[in-house]
Parts: sequence; C-alpha cells; structure tokens
Amino acid sequence: MTATLDVIIAGGGRVGFQTAELLADRGHDVTIIERDDRVVSDIADEWVATVIHGDATDPSIIEQAGVERADVIAALTGESGLNLAVCLAASELTPGIRTVARIDRAARESYTRFVDAVLFPERAGARVAANEISGSDVQTLADVTGSLDIMLVRVAEGAPAAGKQLTEVRFPAGTLVVSDENGERIARSDTTLSAGSRYVVAVEPDVADEVMNLLQG
Amino acid sequence: MSSQSRSPNAELGLLDATMIGMGAMIGAGIFVLTGLAAEIAGPAAIVVFALNGVVTAFTGLSYAELAASIPKSGGGYAFVREIFDDLSSFIMGWMLWFAYMIAGALYALGFAPNFLELLHVYGVVAPPDQVGAIALPVVDATLPLAFLLAFVAVLGLVTLNAVSTAASGSAETIFTIVKVSILVVFVGFGIASPMFSGAEFQPLFPEGGGAAAILPAMGLTFIAFEGYDLITTVTEEVENPRKNIPKAIFLSLVATVIVYLAVVTVAVGTLGAQGLADAGEAGIAAAATSFMPTGLPVIRNGGALIVFGAVFSTLTALNAVVIASSRVAFSMGREGQLLPSFGQLHHRYGTPFVAILASAVVMLGSVALPTQSAGNMSSLFFLLSFIIVNVAVIRLRRERPDMHRPYEMPFYPAPPLIGVALNLLLTVVLVEYLIRTDPLALGLSVGWILLGGVAYAVLNRVRTEPQRDDGTDIEMTPEVDD
Repeated sequence: MTATLDVIIAGGGRVGFQTAELLADRGHDVTIIERDDRVVSDIADEWVATVIHGDATDPSIIEQAGVERADVIAALTGESGLNLAVCLAASELTPGIRTVARIDRAARESYTRFVDAVLFPERAGARVAANEISGSDVQTLADVTGSLDIMLVRVAEGAPAAGKQLTEVRFPAGTLVVSDENGERIARSDTTLSAGSRYVVAVEPDVADEVMNLLQG
Repeated sequence: MSSQSRSPNAELGLLDATMIGMGAMIGAGIFVLTGLAAEIAGPAAIVVFALNGVVTAFTGLSYAELAASIPKSGGGYAFVREIFDDLSSFIMGWMLWFAYMIAGALYALGFAPNFLELLHVYGVVAPPDQVGAIALPVVDATLPLAFLLAFVAVLGLVTLNAVSTAASGSAETIFTIVKVSILVVFVGFGIASPMFSGAEFQPLFPEGGGAAAILPAMGLTFIAFEGYDLITTVTEEVENPRKNIPKAIFLSLVATVIVYLAVVTVAVGTLGAQGLADAGEAGIAAAATSFMPTGLPVIRNGGALIVFGAVFSTLTALNAVVIASSRVAFSMGREGQLLPSFGQLHHRYGTPFVAILASAVVMLGSVALPTQSAGNMSSLFFLLSFIIVNVAVIRLRRERPDMHRPYEMPFYPAPPLIGVALNLLLTVVLVEYLIRTDPLALGLSVGWILLGGVAYAVLNRVRTEPQRDDGTDIEMTPEVDD
C-alpha cells in the first residue's frame, strides 16, 4: 500500500497553509477549504492544493472537498469552536476519518474526547521561542529553523530501502540518515535500514517525498 | 513525478512552458505522419492538420482549467483521479499509459527510416535511387534494419531514463528552438523553390475518397497534436502557474498549428501529394532533399539538415513519451491502482524503475507494428482519454461548484461538450477505418482494454486483503510483469 494520505485542511490561513505546504512536499494529496476570497487567491498562486471556496461547516462544502475519500481532516482555523464543529461534521459524514483540531488555549485539550488529536500552534511556537531565547543547541525534533525537516521515520516492510545497508541506497542529494536503529548510535555506512525500526532522518523539503518513498514505499 | 524536485525550483517561465508543449508536439508527428496523411487524404492533408488543431483546442481548454485548479503534476491521470471513482480513473490511467507507450513505438518507427535517410545522404548506406521509396531487392535488407534501429532507439532511451534522472526543462527549450528553426528553414527554402511556384493543390481530395477521406486521416494524425498535455506534468516548476499554464497551452497550440500548416503546405506544394505518399514516414525528408540546395560546405546537401531535424525530433519526442508513460504508471502505482512496486523509486537509481521497465516491454513489443498501426492505436487511445478529460471538467463543475478555479474556460459548457462530440466522432471514424483496413491494431487495442479489466479485478482482489497499512503484510507480492 502507498503511504499517501488524502487530507482536507479547513482554514487556509497561516497555520493551515503552511501545513498544506509541508504535506504536499511529502507527496500527500491536500484540499483546503477557505472562506475568505483574498486568502483563496493567495493560496491559488502558490499552487499546493485544490481549494474549495466556502464555509467549512457547510455539509455540501465538506462533501465537495471529497470527505468521503479523505483519510484525515484537520480543522486549523483560528476559532476552536468552529474547528471542533468541522471535525464532528466530518466524522458524521465519514465515520472513521481521522480528525485533528487546532485549539487556542490549553483548557481545550479536553477536545480529545471528540477528535483524534488537537494541536496548539501558539504553544509549539512558544517552545521554539524558549529554545531560541535560552540559546541551547538542543531543538525538539518537530521544530527546526529554516526549512529542513528532521523526522523520525519508521522503515516500512517491503519498502525499496528496507533491509539494505546505507551504502547500497542512493538517497537524493539533500538527505542525511542521522541515527542507526533505536537511536543509540550515529548512522554509519554499514548501518542497515531494517524494516520496522525507526531512524532520525534529515531532509530538504524538495526531496522529502522521494525519501519517504524509499523508506516507506 | 517527484524526480523533478531534485533540481530545486527550476523556475520555468511562460516561454519554457510553451516550449515544452511545442517540443512534445513538434516531435515525430509532423515528420512521420505527413506522408501517411497525404496517402489517405491527398493534398487535403493541409485541411486535416488544421481541423485537428481545432478539435484539440477544445480539449486544451479543459486541460487548462483542470491544470490551474488541481495542483498536481500528474497530467491527465491526476485530474481524473481527483473526481472519478476507482474504476474510471483506472481506465483513464490504463489508456493514457498505453497511448504514450504506443506513441513511443511510433516515434521510434519514424526515427528509423529518417536515420537511414541521413546515413544515405552521406553515402554510408547504399542509397536506393529514389529517396524513401525502397527498391525491391533492398526490402529484405532494409526492413529488419529499420526495425532494429527502432528497437535500439527505444532500448537506449529507456536505459538512460531507468538509471538516471536527468530530465530538465531548460534543455527542452533549446531542443524546441532547434526543431522549429530547422522547420522554418524548410518552409523558407520550400516557398522559394521553383517547384513550389508550380504547386498543384488540385484536386484537393483524392479520387474515390472525396471529402470523407479527411476523417480517417484526422484520426491517424491526431497524435501530432498530443504534447501540450505534457505542460501540465511540469506545472509545479512553472512560475505563477494559474496564469501561465493556460497561456502556455494555448500559445503552444497556436504556434504548433501555424508551423504544421506551413510545413504541410510546402511539402504538398513541392513534392506533391503522390510523392509524399510514396515516401511514407520519410515524407518531409524526401520533400526537403528535392528542393534544398546542394553542394554546401560540411553538410554537403541541404536536405540533410531537414533529415537531421527529423531524426532529432523523433528522438527527443521518444524521450518525452518514455518519461510520460513511466510517469503515468508511477502515479498509478502510488495511487494503488497498479502493483505498489510501480509506485516505488529504485533504491539505487532513484528512478521509477519498475514503471519504466514495464513501459519498455510494451514499447519494444510495439516496435514490430507497422507505423500506420502504431499511429492509429496511439491516436485512438489519446482520443478516448481526452474524452474522459472533457467529461471530468463537466463533472467537477457540477459536483464541486465551489472549487476555486483560477482559470475558467469561456462559454462553458460548450467547449467540453463540443470536445467530447468531436473526439467521439473521430473515435468512431477511426474504429470504423480500423475495422476496414487494420484489424490487427483494433484487436490489440481491444486486447489492451480487456487486459486492463483483468488487471483491475486481480489488483482489487489483492488490495482488499491488506486493507490498512499499519498491519505488517509479510506476504510480498511477487513481481508480476503484465
């Protein structure tokens, strides 16, 4: 099976759009739902996702975004209540769809009773800010400066690179396998990419989907 | 395909995008098919190319609207996948894949006689006394040689694409300029030649055929306008795609129609429809050798320049369809509509290796076909897949009225409806023509569609077992080569 996801993002603002960009770089199919005319044409200029123009709580709009085929819906507008409503509506239309809601204060973490995951961009941003302010070299895996992606990737069974040694695999330029399996040592040329283990990999966004293809098929 | 992101942000401008479309269109079609079209339609071959341009323009509008609103670099298959169910999008991919592969065989078959012609201009090969019209004793020696050449050309380019990812848009621009320049030289000398001043375009239609002969000739040469769709496969790299992609599609179509009409007019005017028909796949080259100046330094015979143009065009077009066909198979593999191995990059070469190999098998097999059959089959499948693209536009408009469309075609719904009707008409004519003249091509076409049905059923059986990818499916699917 391929690892490409069919993703709907409600809200094409700053958070929604950048999320869409990251996902599209990794080769996923993204559809954005956006209400605001101006934002819609900005997104269209960037050409990363199909855009449905309308209110994400409107069932016909969610349907036009292809909710019946989607794997995930992420409601990333600035309004927590709206995000929750979108996720609930989508679950109603497509039971089993994975739902992610953006929240605006920690108290709303209880939303996880209704949705599969919540995210709190302000706190994630605060973590980066704190790292930067304290000037430590330690960065969390999720937020890196610049556009590099540092990811923890599990090698899938039957992927092109599974079971191969690093020397045998030609990763595209702009890729670095950082850790060996289990993250105990730094990867060496004889490190074997065994299926099922997880590796820390640094990639440039341009080649992320190729790397994903090699590691996950 | 993702290998394009290897060259980070190769920003292509409007000119580059237009050149990609023109480069793919002004490939082998014009060099290879002009003679064959003249054989069917006589001097009306000119009308044939003009009308095909008109027919294609309607589908061009549909491509433009889809490419601007669906940001995927997969071309026609990606658009159809967006709106149609599994079966319909599978059929689209399956047909488009075949169309590109057969086009590859067609270009290879066009490359061979032109290459032989080039060799004979320089006296490497014993020349038959009349260009392109092979004297009987030579038939036994020449035919296998042409077949061998076509085979080697496909093999070489497939190998090249299987082990390296070196397709870049900027080289394409230079290639296209070279091709167009050579054709401009051809047209210029042709119009100036004394042969042209006494040009005979009468009777316009061949005897016995009448105006009806235009339709099958249109079916055969329809593939000459395939190529603008490749612009939509590089959309990611084009700056401001929502404005430039539609523009590039129309500009390349208009420019190509103009070039074609000039070339065909000159070819018919100088060599005459009968002469063109006799020369077959090397028609344009034969016309050129008849009026280009001789005794030049280095290239000796001016005709050699045009023959070189034909060789160069067929090879670059072959390269483009090798990439295009493997890209369709790769996308289908990624979408789970072919074996997963089709959608995987090779660990050592970084190319969609399995997709390229599978495409190569069909291409190499098709080289054994007569050129005309390859042209007919390829045109047939492009016609069918273009019908689906037009229907996709209509369906998207109905089912997703709120989808943002940076480019909206004018006079909707007329263009896609007309596009469907015209493509359907040509399909019917072509099928009818094949029943009469080329049952082999028709049989192979039907066979491919049936094979697709079988492949779809088998793959569905395979896919329903491991439904989720979080479970480890240990049973590796054996590498089946269909």
